Amino acid sequence: MKYAYFPGCSQESTAKEYNRSLKAVAKRLGTMELVEIADWNCCGATPAAAVNAALPHALAARNLAIAEEMSMDMVAPCAACYKNMNKASHVLREDPDLLARINATLDSHQVEHAPAVRHPVDVVVNDVGVDSVPVEKPLNGLKVASYYGCLITRPEGGFDDPDYPVSMDRLMEALGAEAVDWQYKTKCCGGAIYMTTEDISFALSADVLAHAKAAGANAVAVGCPFCQLLLDLYQDKLNAIKNTSFDLPILFFSQLMGLAMGLDRAELGLERLVVSPFKLLSETVDGPEEDSKKRKKGPARKPKAWGEA
Amino acid sequence: MGKLKAIRLGAETSAEMRPIEIETAVCYQCGTCTGACPVAAAGGMDYTPRAIMRMIQAGMEEEVLSSQTIWTCASCYACAVRCPRDIEITDVMTQLRNLALERGYKARKGRVYNTSFMNIVRRHGRMYEAELVVRYNLQTNPLNFIGLIPVAVKMILKGKLRFLPDHPEGRSEIRGMFDGLTGGAE
Repeated sequence: MKYAYFPGCSQESTAKEYNRSLKAVAKRLGTMELVEIADWNCCGATPAAAVNAALPHALAARNLAIAEEMSMDMVAPCAACYKNMNKASHVLREDPDLLARINATLDSHQVEHAPAVRHPVDVVVNDVGVDSVPVEKPLNGLKVASYYGCLITRPEGGFDDPDYPVSMDRLMEALGAEAVDWQYKTKCCGGAIYMTTEDISFALSADVLAHAKAAGANAVAVGCPFCQLLLDLYQDKLNAIKNTSFDLPILFFSQLMGLAMGLDRAELGLERLVVSPFKLLSETVDGPEEDSKKRKKGPARKPKAWGEA
Repeated sequence: MGKLKAIRLGAETSAEMRPIEIETAVCYQCGTCTGACPVAAAGGMDYTPRAIMRMIQAGMEEEVLSSQTIWTCASCYACAVRCPRDIEITDVMTQLRNLALERGYKARKGRVYNTSFMNIVRRHGRMYEAELVVRYNLQTNPLNFIGLIPVAVKMILKGKLRFLPDHPEGRSEIRGMFDGLTGGAE
């Protein structure tokens, strides 16, 4: 299927590796064609609504209008963009007065019927299907804590449980990794307040990191650039708060997909991660052949999905 | 919930508070929101979300709008998805921020962060992180720059910092949209 791809601002700066790895994965899958929305604009993140109630919907409307012209559902990989755009899509379909008011401020684009907005985890799990991901190199030995953060499943995600989602966990199992069960998968990292209230934000992120580690994870999978930035770039600070010395790689789920699909690693941007995953990978996924064979629990190419006998 | 009338327990409030009072009128103070709130648990709020709900019902407009809580809410929606009365608590916090900004309540950091962020989006059409960091810290605490140097170096080495802003073609349309709704920024 074809999707109108809305990268979002972070994908061009702090989270370039998310953008690149997701595009590479989509290209290899073939069933998830990402067509970038030409000339997209910022979604306004959390500040837009604080400045003006209609502003986040208006910023989203311009992007939604372009996606509507493409006759495709929108895919937004950043959790904050996803939430804003998804919310606006619902609001604009339900509130014709607001829609008219916003359309009046737009020159070259108009929204008639706002398209659906999807997160790529939703698309991979529910459209592509985890069993259709071609696994060339199973992620043996990786114990992955899937960290959804707040906005992939809240407030109106709809594709998974708001408190205890399992989509990303299912994907990780299909890739050959062990999905670590933990309590903090949708706890907030404090991303939206880290510039104004850094200490609280770091306290929240430190809790997330500590819980992932305590659950036995040796890597964390994320689908949000802010979660990734806080847990990865600031991991030394989080360690200082908890007096720990964790060295836990924080990877985008698309990077883990790319690894399992045997994609060219240069395309996955692994070297951009502050906490390097290379030592972990050499000890697990890239480990000695006989070891990795021993660790394999089932057939490498088609791991079982949850719910299958 | 919209059909219920808000029964105000205390002082007369402004017209802008009415929709917020109606949204929160059905709160029966169970405290589920506070139990779900990670920021309250970390000690980042002067009033818990439950207390804010009650203060709105009691007509404590001044106290609510000058609270720290409305600015430290992380907008994670943990409260809203759990509320047994279906109150959009997170959106209420945002509406209160909006009102506090319009009325000129102090909250220096929140004001500088939110308005700088949106002024950058208005001008460039997209976020330009380096400018946000510079503007925010210049206006709040320039001494922060010293502490930011190691982070900036790390980000540059990892290619995580954008040196120049991106400029979508439709910048004038984006600016027109801003000005049409807000009456112009800056």
